[in-house]
Amino acid sequence: MPDTIIIDGLSFSLPLFVMAVGGIFSEKSGITNLALEGFQGFGAFTGAFAAVYLYGVFGADSVIPYWASFVFAVIGGGVFALLHALLCVRFKADQVISGVVMNILAMALTSFLTKRINASIFGNSGNKFMLSASSRITIPGLSELPVVGAVFRDIYPFELVIVAVALVMWLVLYRTVYGMRLRACGDNPQSADAAGINVYAVRTVAVFVSGCLSGLAGMSFAYSVSAQFSPDIYLGYGYLSIAALIFGNWSILPALFACLVFGFARSTGAAVIHGLGLPSSYNDLVRTLPYVLTLLLLVFFGRRNRSPRALGQIYDKGMR
Amino acid sequence: MRKFTLSCLAIGISLIFGALILWLMGKNPGEAYMSILQGAGLMEKARYSGRQSMFTDFMSLVDAMTPMIFASLAVALALKGGFFNIGVSGQMLFAGFCAHMAAQFLPSRIVVVIVGFVAGAVVGALIGWLKSRFNVNEVVSSIMLNSILMYVITFYIYTFYINPVSRNSVSVPAAARLTLSGFRWEGMKVDIALAFPAAVITAVLLHWFINKTTYGYEIKAVGLSPRAAHYAGMNVGRTAVITMTLSGALAGLAGVAYYCGYLAAIQPGVTPSMGFDAIAVSLLGGNNPLGCVLASFLITVISKGSVYMSSRQNIELEIASLITALILTFAACSAVLDRRRGK
Amino acid sequence: MAEPIVEFRHITKKFPGIVANDDVSFTVNKGEIFAVLGENGAGKSTLVSALFGMYEPDGGEILVRGKPERITSPRYAGTLGIGMVHQHFRLVSNYTVAENIVLGLEPVRKVCGIPFVDMKKANRDVAALSERYGLKVSPTDVTGDLSVAAMQRVEILKMLYREAEILIFDEPTAVLTPQEIDAFLQTVKTLRDSGKTIILITHKLREIKAVADRCAIMARGKLVSILDVKTASTDEMARLMVGHDISFTTEKAPAKFGEVVLDVDGLTVKNVAGYDAVKGVSFQVHAGEVFAVAGVSGNGQNELADSIAGLAKVSGGTVTLSGHDITNATVREHITAGVAYIPEDRHNVGLVLDFTLRGNFPLRLYDSPKYSRGSIINYREYNEQSARLQEEYDIRSSQGGETIVREMSGGNQQKAIIAREIDMKTPLIIFMQPTRGLDAGAVMNVRKYIIAERDRGAAVLLISLDLDEILDCADTIGVIYSGKMSKIAPASELTAEVIGEYMMGVGKTA
Repeated sequence: MPDTIIIDGLSFSLPLFVMAVGGIFSEKSGITNLALEGFQGFGAFTGAFAAVYLYGVFGADSVIPYWASFVFAVIGGGVFALLHALLCVRFKADQVISGVVMNILAMALTSFLTKRINASIFGNSGNKFMLSASSRITIPGLSELPVVGAVFRDIYPFELVIVAVALVMWLVLYRTVYGMRLRACGDNPQSADAAGINVYAVRTVAVFVSGCLSGLAGMSFAYSVSAQFSPDIYLGYGYLSIAALIFGNWSILPALFACLVFGFARSTGAAVIHGLGLPSSYNDLVRTLPYVLTLLLLVFFGRRNRSPRALGQIYDKGMR
Repeated sequence: MRKFTLSCLAIGISLIFGALILWLMGKNPGEAYMSILQGAGLMEKARYSGRQSMFTDFMSLVDAMTPMIFASLAVALALKGGFFNIGVSGQMLFAGFCAHMAAQFLPSRIVVVIVGFVAGAVVGALIGWLKSRFNVNEVVSSIMLNSILMYVITFYIYTFYINPVSRNSVSVPAAARLTLSGFRWEGMKVDIALAFPAAVITAVLLHWFINKTTYGYEIKAVGLSPRAAHYAGMNVGRTAVITMTLSGALAGLAGVAYYCGYLAAIQPGVTPSMGFDAIAVSLLGGNNPLGCVLASFLITVISKGSVYMSSRQNIELEIASLITALILTFAACSAVLDRRRGK
Repeated sequence: MAEPIVEFRHITKKFPGIVANDDVSFTVNKGEIFAVLGENGAGKSTLVSALFGMYEPDGGEILVRGKPERITSPRYAGTLGIGMVHQHFRLVSNYTVAENIVLGLEPVRKVCGIPFVDMKKANRDVAALSERYGLKVSPTDVTGDLSVAAMQRVEILKMLYREAEILIFDEPTAVLTPQEIDAFLQTVKTLRDSGKTIILITHKLREIKAVADRCAIMARGKLVSILDVKTASTDEMARLMVGHDISFTTEKAPAKFGEVVLDVDGLTVKNVAGYDAVKGVSFQVHAGEVFAVAGVSGNGQNELADSIAGLAKVSGGTVTLSGHDITNATVREHITAGVAYIPEDRHNVGLVLDFTLRGNFPLRLYDSPKYSRGSIINYREYNEQSARLQEEYDIRSSQGGETIVREMSGGNQQKAIIAREIDMKTPLIIFMQPTRGLDAGAVMNVRKYIIAERDRGAAVLLISLDLDEILDCADTIGVIYSGKMSKIAPASELTAEVIGEYMMGVGKTA
């Protein structure tokens, strides 16, 4: 039983985490991002479409559609996110409103397109793209270790990708020139501008990155949770990752911790409920845990919890 | 007036966009839009099945639009007071659920309405209080509360309150339902939304409240400029809590009109998307209570009418939400144009 | 032998209703400390901002190293070797000192083509720079935790890191303690000795005397004189800065003092940061008296006004109005007791900018029976008042009472506030910087209103940075310096020079 807790916990935490990293990029640059939910859904849609299309070319057993789906999910999420960037950066729309609208639009657009594509290309009337089951990897040797061995057992391939991507993103955000400028834009865009930085460009790229990472997360959820793309992908994981990034105080490592807590609470809860022979509906109670924790954190430690100073502020160069 | 023009512009552009999509799909946009109007009961269909008519279609439209009016009013009032009530969805669900519970013991329409009103107000007040007491951003706390309420209610429904056939909750007793479903009149089966007149009256009252009373004056001043409101001798924190309480109460009425009226049961596992659509509807209505009624009407015409369009023209039903989403996107941009001109 | 590095030629800059710079010409030489002296609103900041590319002048030209330049942005100014330290620092608060200094020009170490910031080198460079100019900072400290003086050192190092040759300081000592000021002045000398050119904007004579080589004196947008600091006396500079020609004179009958209306005793108020901004201030204002508080910006004036009007919390002492203790009463209670207040920040405090003009007039009394009956707004009274005040105070707007206040000019916005507060007919009225940013005609009008209020029998508390205004209106003058009233005397016993000395903290303590 501890095995399933670890395996399920990780496979849920990691996509959540990579999406939170995307959110951190966007918010650290000063753009409020409630649109993660929409980004991950749109990314999963493009990825799943690519996969299903490529099944026809390479066959359902080929690994090419599997990996291609992630590539397309990343691209799709990123491109869709550019719309949010366009509204927030160029049109100077209210970032919260834009985020809500992005979510509504993503949901409407993907449900419409899924049906449309199914009808016109694949000749069925379904509202979902069925994916073939993801393979699992077990690392020999390490997986034999007692207890922690489970970490290396039955891993979804995307989990490894996410770990690598997250590491790179950590380096980018905290160690590179771009990352340093990005964080300056979210704290004091005026001073960034005075230092010769193009605030608009930095923010646009940051939102694009958040879309890409959300796309990766969305595709991962599509494989791990349901092995399909359907409107069910909009289950609020985007909002959960927002909770994680707030819980993690807009920093990558604490956000990872938050995601692990959220993920393991979920898998442990499920295991306990299963073990006690309770109906699965008790899982819903466990799922409130991340949100309750985040809310309590904000109430009691709200003063310590600091969002980027310029978050949500529309930056207009002309204004001083 | 300026806002009205901009909203019309957003709608116009979206309809042109929608027409373009329909045309690309090889459909006749004119016919498609006509069938939307037919489906919404605004134009005569070619033929009707038994006990149906243009009137029954129109009455269903009214039924669907009633909760939307309340929900968009909730958003509009909060925005007047400087709050972004993204929690309308959770407040609706909670109010609907509480009303259902109360109706189990006292199946009466008045009980349902009162309980929903209070339940929504409690959630709204909590959000306002967290903001003014602990400075917790209302958007963040609303998102958390949406999820918490949704999961707890889902748990309860699955565990104690499920209709095993429909996989929805048990239906509210007929005596407590705010919509007279399938009411027989002149040989037709009509859905009568009892709450609709209340929704319109509420909009008018809210308009009056915001514009003609000192409370409205306070809410607007606090929303636009908390420091000037303080200078004017207003209690900024208290006003903020009152605003969110009232907004939550309106959302509660929306929840009752939705779950104990338009629908009779609660679907577990989701928050009502209406709570989010309402944000954009309010935006489209220029955050004006009367504008909200008009915008609710328009959005409901599209969502109801497109059911008929989809079957008639063989178009995916989802086009309705797509056109709606486009209107909302353009409305978000038009709000920007408005603000720019204001500067 | 003096080599010109910056030349201003006939610089003119107009803002709506005000000429900020009127045909100003002078030359700054390489390697000197050049001070620009003048009162608040004399146009010195505007002039130098043009050199830093924040405004483009309407007329005239700027030459840098003998070449005419159109300086369109701070970025371009940077490429010309011009750096500026603003009054409000532009620092990323959660960055380390070194990160702030190198931002935008980071030392790069490429790994696989990815540009990583070489923080080790950045820290080393900053430490070296700090050592070289004697500007003590620790490269790894978080900027937000630093003292104001240390932040200023970071701003200076930011310019030096970019190898700026021409360093502009805008009121650099306004926020520093006396000891920090001494250290700062030493730094400025060091910088000059290492070949930098320094332009120092200030209104503090002592500092100019201490470090500057030459100084330009400005008043009302015009260049009054250029002096060699070594040979000029402080008195001469003060006289030139304040100016002989007091162009505004308001007709004024002798004051007839009545009872004490406002009695402030040992008032202590903390500012937002939690420090005492007003320290044990005591004074009285009588009915029919204009009590004017003179002082340089940031010496506690805001906190003083806000606390008497009930907007800020009093941490010590008492405020009494006509015998009633109103210390720490609510704003509403202050309004009811009879305190009218024209606040300094007319955009964020004095008005709800997105309300109509008509909606802004009852802002302070909206809850009184006159403007509402049982919570229902009495629009007839709103309309009547709106029409009356627009007429009486000549408030111009495009759509009358329906105009959104945001769209009105600053002068008319200010008139609206003044009209509203005077219309309350209170025993005490506080004017905080009432004429800032107004054109000459409007200034005259406001001063007439101040005198009219006095003659009506109100106690008037006037707080202003403009010495002319104070001399023109006051019956009694109190000078505030560093949160304390350093001098209180009848206006007839004080001259501009004496007030100026107290304002700058050099006057003999009374």
